[in-house]
Parts: sequence; C-alpha cells; structure tokens
Amino acid sequence: MEAIDDTFDISRGAIASRPFSQAFWDGSREKKLLLQRCVRTGQYQFFPRPVSIATGRKDIEWCEVDGRGEVYSFSIARRGPGQFQQAVPYALIIARLDVGVDIMANIVRCPAEELAIGMRVKPFWMPLPDGRHLLQFQPD
Amino acid sequence: MGLRDVAIVAYAETKIALRSGSDPYALAGDVTDALLAKSGFDKNEIDGLIVAPTLTGARTSFWAQCMAEFLGLELAFTDMTDLGGCSPAGAVARAAAAIDAGLCSTVLLINSDTPSTHYEYANYAFHEEWADPYGLMSAPGAFGLLSQRYRHQYGLDDHALAKLAITQRRHAILNDNACDKLRKPITVEDYLNSQMIADPIRLLDCVMVADGANGLLVTRRDIAKRKKLDMFVVPSGYGEMTNRGASRSIIDITETGHAQAGAKAFAAAGLKPSEIASFHPYDDFLIAIMLQLEMLGFCDPGQAASYIHATDLGFDGTLPLNTGGGQISAGQPGLAGGGTNLIEAVRQLFGEGGARQVKNRENALVTGIGWIPYGRNWGSSVALILTPDA
Repeated sequence: MEAIDDTFDISRGAIASRPFSQAFWDGSREKKLLLQRCVRTGQYQFFPRPVSIATGRKDIEWCEVDGRGEVYSFSIARRGPGQFQQAVPYALIIARLDVGVDIMANIVRCPAEELAIGMRVKPFWMPLPDGRHLLQFQPD
Repeated sequence: MGLRDVAIVAYAETKIALRSGSDPYALAGDVTDALLAKSGFDKNEIDGLIVAPTLTGARTSFWAQCMAEFLGLELAFTDMTDLGGCSPAGAVARAAAAIDAGLCSTVLLINSDTPSTHYEYANYAFHEEWADPYGLMSAPGAFGLLSQRYRHQYGLDDHALAKLAITQRRHAILNDNACDKLRKPITVEDYLNSQMIADPIRLLDCVMVADGANGLLVTRRDIAKRKKLDMFVVPSGYGEMTNRGASRSIIDITETGHAQAGAKAFAAAGLKPSEIASFHPYDDFLIAIMLQLEMLGFCDPGQAASYIHATDLGFDGTLPLNTGGGQISAGQPGLAGGGTNLIEAVRQLFGEGGARQVKNRENALVTGIGWIPYGRNWGSSVALILTPDA
C-alpha cells in the first residue's frame, strides 16, 4: 500500500468561525478540545450549533475532552479539491469519540496498512498561521 | 380531497447534454411548451408554479418569481421546493397539498438546471469550517466514508454494484434523452477497473453532472376527468423525511430516512415492496440504490447485494430499475436531476417507454435523495408511489 499524505503542506487559508463556534477555535490555540454539551441531557455535540440538538434550547456549556475515540469510517481521497490535489492520496476519517460525537478530519502520522475501522485515535493539532490549530487525528 | 385527488396530466423532458451552452430559462421554456402541447391545456389555466432550485441560478434568491416572469405566468401559488435532489418528487406532494388547500388548481412543476455550462453554487453551511479544511471532496468523499462503513458492517459486493451499473447503462442506450457521452455499453471489468476517486468510490459509481430540464403538469382530478384525458397518473402514496436522527450526536450511517418515508408511502398506497411494478430510485451513487432497497423494505439491511443478484432488474425483468438509465447513466442535470427518474416513471405509466417499455404498469415507485449533512449519509429522503388512471 502507498503512503498516506499528512496534508501538512496544504494551506488552509483563513477559516472563518461563527458566533457559536468561537470557543472551539479559542481552545485550539492551547490545543484544548472544547465540545458543546447539553446541560439538560448531558449529550455532547459536534459541530458547534446555536442550540442543543437534543432540546433546541440554548443552555449548552463548553467542556474540555481528551478527544480519544476510534475510527468509525475512512476514505482515501484519490482526487482532491483545489490544492488538495497535490496531497493525494490522503485520508479522511470519521472519528467517533468516546464521549459520543462524530468528527470528520484527516488522519495523520498513520501508516496506510494500519488504517482500519475501530482503530484507536487521539487528537493531533495542526498549527494554523494565525495561532489557532486545526483538529486532526493520529493513531493512539 | 388528498394526494389521490390530483392528476399528473403531462410530462416533458429535454435531452440531457454535457456543456449544452443553454440556460435554465431557455430549457424551462422548452418544457413548458411541450407540457402545454401534450396536455392541451391553455397557459392561462395554470395558476400554480413550483420550481426546483438551480446551481446555475444559485446567486438569486428569487428563482420562482423570476421563472414566473420569464414564462409569462400569472399565479395564485408560487413556490420553490428546497430539498435538493428530492425537490422534483417533493414538488408533486406540495402541488397536491396546495390544490387540496384550495390555493390553486393547476400547477406547473419545472426543474431546469445547466451546471455543466454555468455553475454558481457556493456553500453557506458547515463546509467552510468543518469539511473544506480537510479536503473532503463533497459528494464522492461523503459516499466514500459511507461505503467504507457499509463494507465494515455488511461487506461490499463489487459485482452487485457492477450489475447495477451495467443494467442502468443498458437502459440509457435505449433512452434518446440520455446524455450521448454515456450511451455506450459497459462490462463488469469496466466497472471494476474504473478509476478510484474516494476509496471505495469508483468513477463509475458516480453521476456525471450535465444540463437539462424536465417538468410535469398537475391538476385537480375532476378537471382531468372533465377534459376526458385519455390517460393521467395519480400520486397514491408519499413520504418524506429530512434530517433523520437530528437530535442524536451519533447514528448508524447505513440507515436512511427512506425507512420512514417508504413506510408512509406504502401505507398510503396500500402496497408492499413486493407489489412494486417498477422502481426508479434516486441514484447519485450506486450504493445509494443498495441502501434504498434495504430501507424501503425490498430486503433486510445488509442484504441488498443478494437481492440484486437474485433479481432481474432489466426493463423487461421482475423489478425494472431506472429504465431510462438513471442519473448515473443518463446524466445528472444538476438540481433538476431529481426529475430524471420521476419523469421516466411517469413516461412508463403512460405506456410511452418505447423500446424499454415495462410490462407491468400497475404502479411505479420513485424516490429522492437531497443534501449531504455533516458526517452522515443524506439530509432528505422521499418516496413517491404513482398509479395510472384513465
């Protein structure tokens, strides 16, 4: 099997946040993974929303989590949009975190032959030029 | 009044073409002209308009009103069905609801898009923040993730997928409206050897975006009867589900809203999956057909490959599948693409399938798929059962 590109050389540009995702990006500056949690039900959610997806209410809190989980699914991109064409083949995964959310990201520092559904993963914080970090995953 | 008290009295479709150089208004004019000519209706009898969204005209927020102005329509009811690939089938139910509510009596349904000539769509959604920084290649990327999980849970039978590809291609060759580029036979080897795009999605799993338009004329059933029309088609069952599992943070990605949408449509029509005479599922990717076979109840979850191998899916077979070639082999005219298989189903029920006419015209099942949400399969699922009536 061929090597999977880590996509580190691809410029992500300026990623604009929304009013209700600001806390996530602020946390990324210190490589802290902050997730929204519904106060009434205890359910975590990702991506950040303006309300709890469980109740539709605004009483949600930001909680730091360790970001560990497993690969729920993956796909090897053989074609990529824009600059990503230079990085093929690279891998996208859905990480299913232990706290019960799914996060899509690239998997980095992962030998192609080890990438499999069920593989344990943990966060890898890829630096962005503005001091924030992009959440990626790596084998745990 | 209800769903069954409306009649589809005419259908129309342009040829699907790659980089046609045309325009959604021009093609909508072709469809309107054909619908009036075929139905014998006068333009002034139309008092309702429902359009599908468009990728070419995506920068305007006034699509339905612009279309009314370009077509010279004075209307009591005007709407756009914002359900992506479900929009054309969803519009049939909305037309019935509007007629049932007394808002209008004769509705023109127009689906017209030319994205291979002119593309204006831009996301204002989760992508900019949560998908684009990872190089997720929109639909093929999402279906790659879906397919890999399906493979893990149930196994993925490449030969079942190849059978779907070949069957639909054979149908497209018999369809003069199918995109010419795709009207060439393919073999199992062609499918298996086609280029990987987003593992395990191959090139021949995917639709090719093209230009085209289609439409229906829907009126009150008593008007259709009064006009003594030889043939019309009645919507006898409909179900719709958007954002299945919306309250939960994790779901099984291999389950879709067609389970609920299908159950509702079958109950309304009084039919079981085994009684469906021809099946016209939305096909942006071949695996979507497998999931729909499972979710609609033709077979159990994980059993679609066995079902496909055991079933003759040809137009002359036991469950004719996308007899016009589906979008994958006829071409996907952008957001008008949800009308491609819908129009084919109506055409078959009118008995105008020509060289690919199905034998059993008792009913037809059409579906839609619309939008791809974050990390899931698809946003909207619809199921529409059609029955001919004279």
